[in-house]
Order: sequence, then C-alpha cells, then structure tokens
Amino acid sequence: MVSGKNVSHIEDKDLLERYYTDHNNEWLGILLPRYTMLLLGVCMKYLKNEEDAKDAVQQIFLKVMNELPKYRVDYFKSWVYMIAKNYCLMQIRSHNIKEVEINETIITVNDDPENEEKFLQKEVSLNELENAMKELSKEQNQCLTLFYLEKRSYRDITGITGFNLLQVKSFIQNGKRNLKQHLLKNDPSVLKNKIS
Amino acid sequence: MSEELFKILSNSNKDIDNQKLMDYISNKGNETDRFEIEANIADSDFLFDALEGLNTIKDSTKVAQLTDAINNDFKKQLIKKKGKRLKKSIMPETMIYFTIALILLLVIVGYILIRKHLGY
Repeated sequence: MVSGKNVSHIEDKDLLERYYTDHNNEWLGILLPRYTMLLLGVCMKYLKNEEDAKDAVQQIFLKVMNELPKYRVDYFKSWVYMIAKNYCLMQIRSHNIKEVEINETIITVNDDPENEEKFLQKEVSLNELENAMKELSKEQNQCLTLFYLEKRSYRDITGITGFNLLQVKSFIQNGKRNLKQHLLKNDPSVLKNKIS
Repeated sequence: MSEELFKILSNSNKDIDNQKLMDYISNKGNETDRFEIEANIADSDFLFDALEGLNTIKDSTKVAQLTDAINNDFKKQLIKKKGKRLKKSIMPETMIYFTIALILLLVIVGYILIRKHLGY
C-alpha cells in the first residue's frame, strides 16, 4: 500500500502513471496536496473570499478525481490550473458577481514543455542574444534587464519603472517569448528543426 | 554578465516547494529563493495567479491553516472512499458464506424433520 511510504521524491508524472496503472486514489492523495496552496491562491484571486476559495479547492479536487479516469492527462500542472480557473470563472458567472471583471475566457491547456526543450537545444551566441535584446520594446528590455541582470525583485521593478505588478510580469513574460522568437527568426535551421 | 543574460532564455517553470512559497508570501525567504520564485512567475500563469490570490489573504498564517484544513478534509474523504470500496469488495464474499451456512442449516433441519417423521 502507498500510505506510510516516503513518496515525496516521486514526480508528478510518475504519480499520474501509477494512478493510471492501478486507479488507486491514494496516488492522487499524494499528488493533489502538492497543489493545494497554489489552487487556493488561484481561487482567492477569482472568488475573493477565503471560505469560497476553500470550498472551491475541495470541489476542484473532486472534479479532478472524476475527470482523471476519463482521459489521459500528460501535463498535470497545466491541466489542474485549467480546471481551477475554469471552475472559478463558472462560479463567478453562475453567481453573476458583477464587481469582478470577467475579461478572461475559459482556457485550454496549451503548455508544451517539449517545444521549450527543442528551443533549449539551440546554441545561441552572446552576440545574437544582445542583438535580439535590442529588438525588444523599451519596456520589455528594461524589465528583463532589471530582473535578470540586476536581480531586482518584482516589487523593486514596480518602484523603479512605475509599472504595476501585472505589467512587470507581462513585460518579462512577453519579453522572454519575443526574445526567443527573434532568435529563431534569425536562424531558419532552428525554425525548421522546431517545426519538424 | 553573459551568464546572467542567458538565464533569460531558460524556462524556470518547475515545481516550487510549498514552504518556499509560504516564505515568499510572508517575506521571509532569502534572495535566492525570492529570485527563483519570481523567475518562475514569468513562465507560469498558474504561479502568478496563485501569488496574486494568496497575497490578498492578509494574515499569511491563515494560508497555512486553510491549506492544512483542505488537505485534512481531502485525506478524510479518501479514507471514506477507500472504506466504501473495501466494503463493496467484502460484500460478495460475505454473501457466499451466508448462503453456504443457510444451506447447511436447511439440510440439518430437513434431516432432523425426516428422522422425526420416520419415527427414529
């Protein structure tokens, strides 16, 4: 049996694989608590109430237990985030909470770590990287420089630039993505490799 | 400098330890842990949303309390489910023993009645 054993070293992917092999819920008993805090945070963001968020996480756990056996999930983290976000958005819509701005749509899993792996195989020279940095918008360049080169915290960056936290996160996230796109654009062989 | 620049290209979307997360939201973590978490934020909408939500809970100890409460409830639910499944799997076995005992009882009672009827 699973209980009583030290299972903290088992990766999510392996836990999921074991669950699909024997359909023993005890594997989910190890996997899901790893995400409780993150899920609580996501639910708090949308539902704005501690008790509602707590109930929502419990409902999400139940949903996961019901949905997982129906199809194969490869990237659990992305999948459970999608379940949580969709659940919260549905809650907001069903309760018609007007004060929450719903400008987000129901999301689908689109994370592709394999694609990322392919990108990491590319050898980039410092010169290429510096040139690609120049192609970024001023804001993206500034945020990436402050965060990665000057090791400033998000909070520091908001203070220095005047952007809010969401903007800082977006500039860093989009800056990274654009940087990779610029590098791929300038190297067709990598792009070809990426497509194949 | 160049080393740092290359870090921009790495994908930091890895699993963050819950304790590190707790330390981060209660401003207790060291610089390295803080950087690790914030580098992850850029690669993970999940983490960004979660931190945004967790930061709205004013008392950070409440986060740990709520997390523990959810985990404990979930644990209880799993035990209950396991008990039900076990009960279900035991049921057919119990039925077989009960049926055998009933047949044996009927045979014995029948035997006694026949013996009585024949005047033994």
